[in-house]
Amino acid sequence: MLLVNHLSISYQATQILNDFYLSLATGDIFALLGDSGSGKSSALRFISGLDEAQSGQVVLNGKQLSNNGIHNVAPELRKIGMVFQDYALFPHMNVKKNISFGIYNLSNSEQKTKVEELLLMIGLKGVERKYPHQLSGGEQQRVALARALAPSPKLLLLDEPFSSLDKHHKERLVLQVRDILKKTNITSILVTHDKYEATIFADKVGVIKNKKLTIN
Amino acid sequence: MEKNCLKSKVWISVLALLVAMPIFVVAMSWLFPERELWAHFSTILLPNLISATVVLLIGVGIGVTFLGTILAYLVVMVEFPGRQWLEWALFLPFAVPAYVLAFVYLGVFDYSGYVQVWMREVLGLSGFDIRTGSWAIILTFILVFYPYVYMMARASFKRQKINIIEAGRLLGTGPLRTFLKISLPLARPAAAAGLLVTLMEVLADFGVVSLFNFDTFTTAIYSAWGDFRSIEVAAQLASLLVLVAFFLIYFEKKARGQAKYYSNEVANRKPYRAFGVMGWLISIFIFSVFMLAFAMPMLQLIIWGWTYSGKGWSVKYIDLIISTLILTVSATLITVSIATILALPNHCKKNSSWLKSVINIATLGYALPGSIMAVGLLYGINQVSAISIYFGGQSINQIIFGSIALLLFAYISRFMAIGYNSIKASTEQIKPIFTQSARLLGVSRLRLIWKIYLPMMTPGILAGGLLVAVDIMKELPATYLLRPFGWDTLAIQVYELSAEGLFEQAAIPALIMVLFGSVLMIIFQYLDKKS
Ligand SMILES: Nc1ncnc2c1ncn2[C@@H]1O[C@H](COP(=O)(O)OP(=O)(O)OP(=O)(O)O)[C@@H](O)[C@H]1O
Ligand SMILES: [Mg+2]
Repeated sequence: MLLVNHLSISYQATQILNDFYLSLATGDIFALLGDSGSGKSSALRFISGLDEAQSGQVVLNGKQLSNNGIHNVAPELRKIGMVFQDYALFPHMNVKKNISFGIYNLSNSEQKTKVEELLLMIGLKGVERKYPHQLSGGEQQRVALARALAPSPKLLLLDEPFSSLDKHHKERLVLQVRDILKKTNITSILVTHDKYEATIFADKVGVIKNKKLTIN
Repeated sequence: MEKNCLKSKVWISVLALLVAMPIFVVAMSWLFPERELWAHFSTILLPNLISATVVLLIGVGIGVTFLGTILAYLVVMVEFPGRQWLEWALFLPFAVPAYVLAFVYLGVFDYSGYVQVWMREVLGLSGFDIRTGSWAIILTFILVFYPYVYMMARASFKRQKINIIEAGRLLGTGPLRTFLKISLPLARPAAAAGLLVTLMEVLADFGVVSLFNFDTFTTAIYSAWGDFRSIEVAAQLASLLVLVAFFLIYFEKKARGQAKYYSNEVANRKPYRAFGVMGWLISIFIFSVFMLAFAMPMLQLIIWGWTYSGKGWSVKYIDLIISTLILTVSATLITVSIATILALPNHCKKNSSWLKSVINIATLGYALPGSIMAVGLLYGINQVSAISIYFGGQSINQIIFGSIALLLFAYISRFMAIGYNSIKASTEQIKPIFTQSARLLGVSRLRLIWKIYLPMMTPGILAGGLLVAVDIMKELPATYLLRPFGWDTLAIQVYELSAEGLFEQAAIPALIMVLFGSVLMIIFQYLDKKS
């Protein structure tokens, strides 16, 4: 299970989040809504261990990852996956290398099977050898999603991973990803602006309002 | 093709070919083959000299690549105690001329230097000669030239998206793998460019190798000219150096490929923090590089200068400073102006392989040792005079040799690459879309240059100018051969005194040079930070 407690974030003098609280059971899928600039990405960055905060605690599966806004466990050791808002694909690696980057300790054939499986799921078979700059925005987004799923993280943070997709692709992929997360029992947080997407994807939906999280 | 391309082609070609003239003069020397001398050179001298040069290039190349990229990675990607100060301090060695560092180390480690005296008198050990083998000269070169790699790799690391590294970390990758798999491959083209500059500097070096009595390919050039009085063979050997430089440039271009993976925003976040023991180890490592390459040598210079200044400070330093400044400032201004013209974005350039190669040739002078450039120019002027006399005109020798024109020409031709590359890099952020949208708005080309190109290129122009100025101030061999009577510079003074082992006397002009150079580097840093 995931517990985020007492999370307060401010940049310079501006308070972004104040005493943010969230608790999820293992396998829960949560959708986080909120206006642009309300601090959704900031919350994810703290949970993943990338940025520190004024205060805040993160406990994942009984292990305290962060406390008092300071991280006890480095990002690379958290087994938290993240799809960045701007994809952050490795520009000098092709799609296959990107997706298999996090599973380098598996054997070559295992890596290959995994990559093929994920490409099939995101509907991008045959692009293994392409480079990110040769893909469209929506395709890059799907590759970023596959890359984050590959190592089977304990917690998956998705920062608007479906925003560049058209309605038809989006609905199909949203349901597929939900399916995988449910099958593998991965706890996840989805940040989105789309209420419909939030309701079909998640078990629970929350909104950041006045620097706090309210669960609907 | 639009019609004004012809005009810009003619203009750019004339400028570029003029800058490249010394190279053509040197290449022309092949019209006068000297078989006997070549037989002597190729059997007796060259094999050893070439292998010595290769050893030097490999040793220095590996050293600067490792040191430069590792230092750059640490200051850009890791937060550790004293980072900001050290990031800045690591630029300062750029202000130290290679021969100054060489003479300081020679002075300290020579038979009569502190170290050996102490070893003999206190420890009772026998002395050593730091000129034996190639390790000492390789180390000296590494300490002098790592800033080229450091500077380029650092700029490249800074432009990497921090996001990408964060993505790597969340996929379970530790610092070492992030460095090897993500940061380093992305910075490889920049590091290769720094390495290229270093190798060309080493190939063209005159001061350090002669102070260390180390024989390289350059020695053969001097020997052909000094011992055998053959300008032709000297020039022919030099043209081989240009050929090597040509290959190096080609490989660098290939290594660069189409890779352009940069973001424009520069993040201030550091992905890694190292506090505690690890942080201090990093600080100490970087601090010791700074000490070895800058602080300790400067301290030694100050001690020598202090000892000597008691014996006679003189106004001659003022004269030296004035001639150095006049030469440096005027040559820098001309170099940067020409480089700017060559680097201005221009649709004619994009489609013309002729223009591209002409511009490449104009930057090859960097590979010509300064002395060869000087010989080439003297030789060229002589030929022009001969032609002029043939047609009943006058010799131009008197006019040219008595002025600083030839020396300025040599500087411009030699350091065009430094100015051009820096300015060219700044044009890379001028996206075609800017030009296209401006043209759709009906803006004339002149206005486009004035309002859009030049403002965006200004940081590159200033940075290029500063680097060119530092290099010109340090330049030795061309100055040595081409300066008119009464135009001694600081560099000349330092070399003449230190070649005779008068280290204490050489210290004061050396310090003045380093001081000027450091001021320029500090301004460079400041501009870099602002942009
Ligand atoms: N490094 C930073 N320094 C200063 N301010 C920041 C920084 N990062 C984010 N902010 C500010 O914090 C606020 C929250 O940013 P955040 O990116 O978390 O918003 P968001 O909810 O993800 O918005 P969006 O829906 O547009 O992605 C914004 O006002 C932003 O300007
Ligand atoms: Mg966001």
